Amino acid sequence: MGTTVVVADGPRLELVDLAAAEARVSYPLDRDLVRAAERFLELRPADVPPGLLDAIAGVPLADRLVAGDAGLARALTVRLGRPVGRATTDELRGARAVVGRGPPHDDRAFLILLARLGLERALRSPEEVLISLAREEERLERALGREDRAAAAFLPVSGTPLAEYHLAWEATRATLADHHAGLVRLLEQSAHSLVPNLAAVVGEKVAARLVAAAGGLAPLGRMSASRLQLLGTRRRPSPEHGPRFGLIYRAVRMEEVPVARRGAYARSLAALGVIAARADATTGRPLASTLIARRDRRVESLRQRKR
Amino acid sequence: MREGRAFHAAPDSPRLAILRRPDRTEFWTETVGREPSVYGERWTESDGRAYRSFEPARSKLSAAIVKGWSGPVPSPGEGWLYLGAASGTTASHVADLVGPTGRVYAVERSLRPFSRLVALADRWPNLLPILGDAREPTAYAALMPPVHGLYADIAQADQVEIVLANATLLLEGTGASVVVALKTASMGRDASAAQHVRRAEETLADLLDLEPTVRLDPFHKGHYLVGGTARSGRLGPARPTVSRPPRVPSRERRRR
Repeated sequence: MGTTVVVADGPRLELVDLAAAEARVSYPLDRDLVRAAERFLELRPADVPPGLLDAIAGVPLADRLVAGDAGLARALTVRLGRPVGRATTDELRGARAVVGRGPPHDDRAFLILLARLGLERALRSPEEVLISLAREEERLERALGREDRAAAAFLPVSGTPLAEYHLAWEATRATLADHHAGLVRLLEQSAHSLVPNLAAVVGEKVAARLVAAAGGLAPLGRMSASRLQLLGTRRRPSPEHGPRFGLIYRAVRMEEVPVARRGAYARSLAALGVIAARADATTGRPLASTLIARRDRRVESLRQRKR
Repeated sequence: MREGRAFHAAPDSPRLAILRRPDRTEFWTETVGREPSVYGERWTESDGRAYRSFEPARSKLSAAIVKGWSGPVPSPGEGWLYLGAASGTTASHVADLVGPTGRVYAVERSLRPFSRLVALADRWPNLLPILGDAREPTAYAALMPPVHGLYADIAQADQVEIVLANATLLLEGTGASVVVALKTASMGRDASAAQHVRRAEETLADLLDLEPTVRLDPFHKGHYLVGGTARSGRLGPARPTVSRPPRVPSRERRRR
């Protein structure tokens, strides 16, 4: 007995007998997509043609529901009578005509579900978690700074409701600061495990922010030192950091270097940072001790150098 | 939400509303979605309908309309493929223009803008987000039917080729619309902006009857809107292959 598959192409389901077409194909089925298709069936029973569920009851789940391009490729396989890996444009266009479509408004639930699942799956990787944490932490730090500046300029007049308000505000800011500290701890742990070399050279927080600013570890690993030095620079100068100061100016030991020498330290640190990022992105070889020694030597020489 | 403004429907797109002011003309779209605003645009109500201001400084399509774009604009009931939807600023307006009976398939590759797009889709019932790379239309071709129009705002060096690949695979036949927001700064430094635009027009001219290109300065520096409608026989579903007898060389034919 041949295998009957149901091609879930959007909301439209179709029974296809693979044996009749004498085709043998095996596509890696994405479990999330299979689950999505199942949930979709539960969500929209009206979309299932009558009798179809009974017809497919005895067929293994993996063979039953296929979504997206793999589903189309299966349908195409049946039509052409040969396995199709990567369908050409004309073949796909032909297949789309074969598979057919449901009414235009029916595919919404399925597409939204696929979008959410795809997004969840992509954001689950440690790298994406680090980027999300780094962006959250940066946002929260800005918010805290804004609140602190506002609080410093606020005058609570005793004996008025303003004093009471000020106390409540302080409590809220303390809670926010606690939340921020917890987030920083989480971020540091995450950076330490994902980019150990870079975190050792520039510090965990800056390492996480560099990965976030570059859009990932792989893009960061491809960057030159001069490009890394520019990461985080803003078009508009902020009160704290002018436009020439990127994230690297917030790296560890920057405060120990004389102001006039910080540019030189930033250049050296960017060069070391690139080596560390490349190691983290590719081989994962531990280079931290060597790079830290070089960094510390550079800091000492800059501190001792006369103007 | 303010009320009581006198809107006039644009002749070629009934859901695009024109509001004439003493010093300028504003464009608004009759919304399909719900508040709050998507990117800080203004909302208003008139004759029981809700409108959103179509800000030219935020949307290249709006900037082109303000600057006299004569090319295709999404119309009610149409399906549009939107490449590079990002957070959905312009995509939400395109969804407004196609109305509740139309569809906008919004493709975006970057995860964080896409998460905002998915959240937006909850409030815009005709906006359908697809997480995918516009360079690989076959990956999402199975998820959508053929559409009437394609809008691309992808700012890549090979943006015209990406548009062509999508148009060939996913657009309906003759009369389908293609609108491309070209960012010449992303197309390489081997040619000037004018040369890039000319090259793009030449490439697209094989497929489309092009409308005059609009430069989007001062709203969007270095951007142009190029587009038109598909020529007869250049797009559409694959025709069945007809088996023909092998061609006979002319000398043999003569001998016969």
